[in-house]
Amino acid sequence: MRSERVEEYLEAISKRQKTEMPVSTSSLAGDLGVSLPAVTDMIRRLEGEKLINYEPNRGVSLTAKGSRAALTTIRRHRLWERFLTDILGLRWDKVHDAACRLEHAVTPDLENGLASLLNYADTCPHGNPIPDKDGHVKEQDARPLSEFEGGQRARISAVAKEEGRFLRKIEKLGLKPNSVVNVLRKDDDGTLELKLDGQQLRLDKATADYLMATSVSPSNEAPEEEIPMSMLRTGEVGVLKSYFGGRGMLGRCLSLGFTPGSTVKMVENFGSGPVLAKVHDADVALGRGMASKIMVTRINPEC
Amino acid sequence: MLEKSDKKTIVVALAGAPNVGKSTVFNLLTGLSQHVGNWPGKTVEQKTGIVRYNGLTIQLVDLPGTYSLTANSVEEQIARDYLITEKPDVVVALLNAASLDRHLYLVTELMELTPRLIVALNMVDVARQEGMNVDVKALESALHMPVVPMVASKNRGLKELVEAIAQKCNQPADSPAVGHVEYGSEISSDITHIEGLLADADTSPYPRHWAAMKILEGDSQINKLLHDRLPPDRQAALASFLSDKESAAITLAGLRFDWVKNVLASAQEKPTAGRHSFTKRIDHAATHPIWGLAVLAAVMILVFGVVYGIGVPVQHFLEVSLIERLQALVFDHAHFMPGWLQSFLGNGLLGGVGTVLTFLPILFLFFVTWGFLEDVGYTARVAFVTDRFMHSLGLHGKSCLPLLLGFGCNVPAVMGTRVIESKRARLLTILLAPLIPCSARMAVIGVIAAAIFGGQAILVTAGIIVFSLAILAVSGLLMNRFIFQGERAVLMMELPLYHEPNPRTIGMVSWQRTIAFIKRAGTLILAVSIIIWFLSYFPSGNIEGSILGHIGRGLEPLGKLMGLNWQLMVALLTSFVAKENTIATLGVLLGRETTGLSQTLKGMLTPAAAIAFLVAQVFFVPCVATVSAIRHETGGWRWAAFSVGFQLILSFALAIVIFQIARLV
Repeated sequence: MRSERVEEYLEAISKRQKTEMPVSTSSLAGDLGVSLPAVTDMIRRLEGEKLINYEPNRGVSLTAKGSRAALTTIRRHRLWERFLTDILGLRWDKVHDAACRLEHAVTPDLENGLASLLNYADTCPHGNPIPDKDGHVKEQDARPLSEFEGGQRARISAVAKEEGRFLRKIEKLGLKPNSVVNVLRKDDDGTLELKLDGQQLRLDKATADYLMATSVSPSNEAPEEEIPMSMLRTGEVGVLKSYFGGRGMLGRCLSLGFTPGSTVKMVENFGSGPVLAKVHDADVALGRGMASKIMVTRINPEC
Repeated sequence: MLEKSDKKTIVVALAGAPNVGKSTVFNLLTGLSQHVGNWPGKTVEQKTGIVRYNGLTIQLVDLPGTYSLTANSVEEQIARDYLITEKPDVVVALLNAASLDRHLYLVTELMELTPRLIVALNMVDVARQEGMNVDVKALESALHMPVVPMVASKNRGLKELVEAIAQKCNQPADSPAVGHVEYGSEISSDITHIEGLLADADTSPYPRHWAAMKILEGDSQINKLLHDRLPPDRQAALASFLSDKESAAITLAGLRFDWVKNVLASAQEKPTAGRHSFTKRIDHAATHPIWGLAVLAAVMILVFGVVYGIGVPVQHFLEVSLIERLQALVFDHAHFMPGWLQSFLGNGLLGGVGTVLTFLPILFLFFVTWGFLEDVGYTARVAFVTDRFMHSLGLHGKSCLPLLLGFGCNVPAVMGTRVIESKRARLLTILLAPLIPCSARMAVIGVIAAAIFGGQAILVTAGIIVFSLAILAVSGLLMNRFIFQGERAVLMMELPLYHEPNPRTIGMVSWQRTIAFIKRAGTLILAVSIIIWFLSYFPSGNIEGSILGHIGRGLEPLGKLMGLNWQLMVALLTSFVAKENTIATLGVLLGRETTGLSQTLKGMLTPAAAIAFLVAQVFFVPCVATVSAIRHETGGWRWAAFSVGFQLILSFALAIVIFQIARLV
C-alpha cells in the first residue's frame, strides 16, 4: 500500500491539473502547505515510482499509473465525505478534514462496501463527482461562476474549495450545490451581482472562482421569475417589474414608457450590443447596460 | 388679457416628443419668417416664427423635443421653464397618432401647467396604415380639449390647427378646465405634506403645488433649487420625508399611463395583428448587427456619391470660373490699385474667403441628403447599429451621427453633437469630430496624392482615411480612459416609424444649417483670412520675405524631421484659415509659370515626405471655423485650446514618426 503522503501528493496534482498543466512545484507546495524543498524530494520519489513525469523548471504531470492512483484516492475521499454527511449526519463544512485522514485507510473491499451503502452516489456533498471504481469520472460541463456574464442563469453544481470556513461563508449567502442563480451584472473587477430566490447579493471574483456552475436555459424557469430585460429573446414578451439602478436613469425610463406593469416586447436582441424593445406602441433602442437593469417577468405570448 | 381688438398678437408654444414632425409643422406654418437662435444660456436651438391668420399674429415658439417635463435633460428643463415663466397663450401638443399612449404622457404633464392646450394628432395616415384608428370626437371629449388630426408631411390639417389656435385664444379664461390625472389619496397627501414643508420658501417661478409634486418625483433640478432656499431644519425634514418615497416617481408615472389608457379605451381602435409591417420589414435588415452595417455602408456610399458626384464639379466650376477669373481680373486689369490692395483683394479675400465659399454647394448637398435620411427616420437606425462600436470609445450610437456629418465638414459635426444628451459624451464627440477628414481636406489629399503617386493615388487616399479613423478610435479610447475616467454613456431612444419625407422640410432644414454655417464661419474666416494675408504680404510685399515666410523658415528645423521644407510648413500654417488653403498657398509659393504645381511638387517631395505631409495636413489643428464652433459649443476657450494643442502635437508627432520610418523602407 502506498504511503499517505504519496496519495496526498497525487490527489493534489490531479486536482491542480484541471487548471494548470503541467503543475508547477510552487503551486503544489501552496496547495499542500509544505516547503518547496520537501516537494522536490517527494517529486523525485514519485518519478522513481513512475507515477509522475517531471520536466525540470516546468512542472509535473501524472502518468497513467499516477492518475489512476490519484482517482482512487479521490474516490475514497469523496465516498467518505458522503458517508459522514449522509450516514453519520455531520455538517458538510466539517467532513473534508476527516475524509482526508480516512481516505488512506481503505481497502478495495471497504471501498466497495461504502459505495454500495451509499447507493453508488456520484457526487460528494460539495457537488464534486465521485470517480467510479474503474477511475472514470462523469464529465460535467461546469465552469467557474466567475466566467458567467450578466443576464445568464446558472445552477451551482459543485464547490471546488472544501475548506470549512469557505463553505460556511457561502452557505450563509444561501449558495449550495443545486442553487439556481440569475447573474444580473458583472462589474469590471469581476464582482457578480446575483439574484437568488428573490434576494440580491454580491459575490467577489475570488469566491465565484471556486463555485462551479452549469448554465441553465432561461426557458426552463418558472414564469414568475424576474429576469433582466436583456435576457428576453427576440419575439419574447415580458411585463416590467422593477428597476435596478440609481434614480438618474429612472426619469428617462419612465418618460419613455418603461413603467412597472407595462408590457415589453423584445423586437431585436442579438445577444450583444443594444436591444430594440417595443413598449407603448413604439420601438425603443436601449443600450445593453440599461436593458440589463430593467427587470421583467417573461410571459407567454399566447396568453 | 388679449381682448384688445381684432389686431392682436398671441404667443403659441409647440411641444412634442422628438421625431414627431415638430420641425415639419413649424416650418410649414412659419415659412421663411423664422428666427433661429439659442435658448438663453443654453446650446439648444430655439426657433421662433410668425404665422398670420385673419388679422391675428401668432408668434410660434418651437419647444425642444421632450417626452416628459421632468428635468432629465436640458431640453426638458428648457421646455418646462418656458411654459412656466413665459406663460404662452396657447400650447399645442403635437402627438404621433401611431403611438398615442406614449405621447399622451406628455399631455398629462402639460395639463398640470396650462389649461390652454390643443392636441395636434400628426401622422394619422401612418396610424391608419398600421391599423390604429383614432376617434377624434371621443378623444376630444375624454381630454376636454380640441384635437386636430393632421398629416404634416402632406400639408394636411395645418389650416385646421391654426383655426383651432385662433378659437382657443378667444375663449374666456374661465373656460371649462381640461381633464387631469387623479393621483389618489396617498400621493395627494404626500404632495400636501411637501407643500407644507415648502410653505415659507420661495418656489418661484414654479407653482408651489407643482414644485411639490416634482420634488416627490425626484426631480433633481427643482430639488436642488429649493434645497438652497429652505432653512436647514426644513431641509432635513424634507430629506427624511423623501427617504422612503423612492418609488413615488414610479407610482406617479404609472398613474399617468393608467389615465392615458382609460382615455384611449374609448377613443382608439387597436389592431389585432400585423402592425408596423412596413417599418418592421425594413428594420429587419437596417437594425441587424451585420446587415445593418451593410445597409449603412451602402447608404453612406450613396450619400457621398451624390454629394461628390454633383458637388465637386460645381465646386470646381466655381473655383475655376468664378474665383480664379476674378483673381485674374484683379491682378491683370486693376493696375490702378496699389499693389497691396491688389494682393489683398486677390489673395486675401478671393483666395481665402472666396475659396471657402466655393465649398458651400458641397456642404448644402450634404445637408440635403442628411436631412432626407433624418426625415425618413433612418438616422435613428444608424445610432442603433453603431452603438456597439461606439461603446468601446465610451460613447453611444448617437455620437456616430455628428461624426458622419464630419465627412462633409467638421463645423456642422461639432454643432450636430447637440443630439447627445450626456454632457461628457457630447464633449468627447466634439473633441473627436475634427479628426474626421472633411471634404476640404479630402480635396487637398486628392490633389497632392495625384501629383506624387499618380495611379496609386486612390490607394494612398484610402489609406489616409483608414489611418485617420484608426487614430480617431485610439484617441477616443485614450481620452475616455484618462480624461473622462471611463464613464459610460447610455443609449436610450425611440426609433420612429419610417415615413414619407417632406421636401419642403428638408429644404428648410438644409438651408438653415447652411446659413448657420455661414454665420458661424463667415466673419471669423474673413478676419483670419485678413490676418494671414497681412502676415504673408508685409513687410516685403511678397510671401517669401513676409512675416509668414520668416515664421516658416523658423520652423524649418522642425519641418526637416518630417521631410518638409519651409514652403510646405507655411502651407500647413495657412490651412488654419481653411483646409483647402494648403493648395492655394503652395500655388503661390511654388507656382512658377513654366511648370504646374503638380510637376513642382513631384520634383520637391519624396514619397516618404509626401505621406508625412498628408498625415500632418489631415491631423493639423482644426480650421478657424471648427475651433470657433468648439468654443461656442463647449462654452469657453478651454476645450477649443485643448483641441488645437492636441492636434498640433498629434499631427507633428505622427508625421515625424511616419517620415522617419518611411525613409528607412
